[in-house]
Amino acid sequence: MKLLDRYEEVVGPREIQRLRQLAGRLAGKRIVHVNSTRTGGGVAEILRWMVPLMQELGLDARWEVISGSPDFYRVTKAFHNGLQGLPVALRKSDFDVHLEVNRENAERLNLEADVVFVHDPQPIYLPRFTPPGQVGRWVWRCHVDASRPNRAVWKYLEAAIPHYQASVFSMAAFTRPLACPMFVVPPSIDPLSDKNCPIPEKERLETLARLDVDPERPMLLQVSRFDRFKDPLGVIDAYRLLKPYYPELQLVLAGGPADDDPEGAEVLRDVLGRVGDDKNLKVLMLPPDAHRTINVLQRSAIVVLQKSVKEGFGLTVTEALWKGKPVVGGACGGITLQVHDYHTGFLVHSPAGAAYRIRYLLRYAEKRQRMGRVGHEFVREHFLLTRHLRDYLVMLFCLEGPCDGVLVG
Amino acid sequence: MNAVEPFSVFDCSLVRRATGKVCSNLRELLEAVRSAPEAVLEHHMMRCALEDHFELNEFPNDLARWCWDALGDHVLGEQLGLVDPYKHPTIAALRFALVNVLEDRLWGLERVPWCRPGLELHLVESQLIAYDTGERVSTPAALVEAIERMSLRSLFFHVHEARRRTAGGTDDFSLWLESCGADPPLVARLRAIDFYFLNLSQLRQEILDVFRQHLLDATAGARAPT
Repeated sequence: MKLLDRYEEVVGPREIQRLRQLAGRLAGKRIVHVNSTRTGGGVAEILRWMVPLMQELGLDARWEVISGSPDFYRVTKAFHNGLQGLPVALRKSDFDVHLEVNRENAERLNLEADVVFVHDPQPIYLPRFTPPGQVGRWVWRCHVDASRPNRAVWKYLEAAIPHYQASVFSMAAFTRPLACPMFVVPPSIDPLSDKNCPIPEKERLETLARLDVDPERPMLLQVSRFDRFKDPLGVIDAYRLLKPYYPELQLVLAGGPADDDPEGAEVLRDVLGRVGDDKNLKVLMLPPDAHRTINVLQRSAIVVLQKSVKEGFGLTVTEALWKGKPVVGGACGGITLQVHDYHTGFLVHSPAGAAYRIRYLLRYAEKRQRMGRVGHEFVREHFLLTRHLRDYLVMLFCLEGPCDGVLVG
Repeated sequence: MNAVEPFSVFDCSLVRRATGKVCSNLRELLEAVRSAPEAVLEHHMMRCALEDHFELNEFPNDLARWCWDALGDHVLGEQLGLVDPYKHPTIAALRFALVNVLEDRLWGLERVPWCRPGLELHLVESQLIAYDTGERVSTPAALVEAIERMSLRSLFFHVHEARRRTAGGTDDFSLWLESCGADPPLVARLRAIDFYFLNLSQLRQEILDVFRQHLLDATAGARAPT
């Protein structure tokens, strides 16, 4: 069975046929994606499905990965933080390291293509060091919210943009004015991945038993790093406000270990301090590959929270909606695109607001179920990888030139 | 029935581009509407229907929704909701109508309404890529079946986008049925659908209801004693 055929059951054969029709006009086009790692992180996760699917659609797609010294990755980690507005201290020698690694990789990698997608800031200077004529068009794909970046970092990265013919952001709100077209392509989830696929009931119950979560009692869930922007303390406050009305309620905060993140460790300490001896409140440290465990938790929750005060796109919200759960989310970032009051959940602005909306959802099972159904369909229409792939295909048409109203036969 | 070309089912996709322009208050919105490229107004007033999924959205365009939700200006939200872009022959005429509503509202306010940080309107322009799916429909009955299963994007193309493409400012379905010699009342009923206030799922249902009702009426007419 071909890869794309597996998605027919989820989105219908017509959607897959449409992708094939669109791609037919792009057959043989040489596409290269470049990023900084083949494993771990959201970008690698996207490229792992996107490159094979583009190949299956007849495009000559490849995936190249840059390599660099630990010093390079220290600098690019600072770029990543700086792009999102965190304070970073960088010296001229740091920028030199970045340029040098880009130069080395431009010599080493095979970038000959019609279109090269450069993902995130790590390889952003490749075009400067690539011989002219090797690449038809350069596209910078920025996966983070770059709307309020650190000035020094932005100035440095912006200077690479004149080499590009286009850029791509996940939301219009994540952009800053650039001297090239800024396409908007929201991210997506893979409905067949371990994180999102259907889970047998036996496995679900076994996983919950292992985690000491009672499947018979209602459970609230937030899946996120232990980070102040995700407001885990606010989630606990909301849960406590609900306890007098629903004493049987459980809360699970599921995140990763914070060994290499001093601030995360501090937030985690605060969280554990707030938990006290409450046996119904579980703080779970899950390894990065615990996709099926997260899947089980999301499927078992009665309401999913993402009470962030600052958020990127918020794919955990997408995952929860796909599993038919109403989401109570902080009114920020991509959460506002996905959570719509009374349709897929509620946007909230405080722990009290979260408690109030959850209480409403716990009271009205029918509304909860309807929101779950609407949320599932909403994700099917807008946030599955087939839509993501279609957006890339039509963007490739537009890169050829003005095409509004052009009918592709 | 006349011999006519079969109906060609098209599909379409939007390519969205951020303009980098952001509105935080009503004055900025007015300036944006005055000066934004036509593709921005097209997107926020018409093509936004492709992004709308919910049955209970109060307003059919982004500008009305933003004024209601983010600025908290319910009067303006209502007024902008009533600006039907398909009733204006050109985007310039639509722009004129919008500016008029916004200016009038701003004129009467003592304070300019602002939105909360995070709720700004980020202006987007879009391009529409339409393509022939290869699917052909030869009879009205087959058209009903096709409408039942076509994508919401196809519906947008054949109803919303068709208004701006066809000479008579109508939808592709009724135009084709008319060319087939279909019953004039059926054609008239399809054209009477006030699609602007429906999301695409509701629109599909309403079109199918028109066909169903027409069939019932025709059956009842055939049974009636002469």
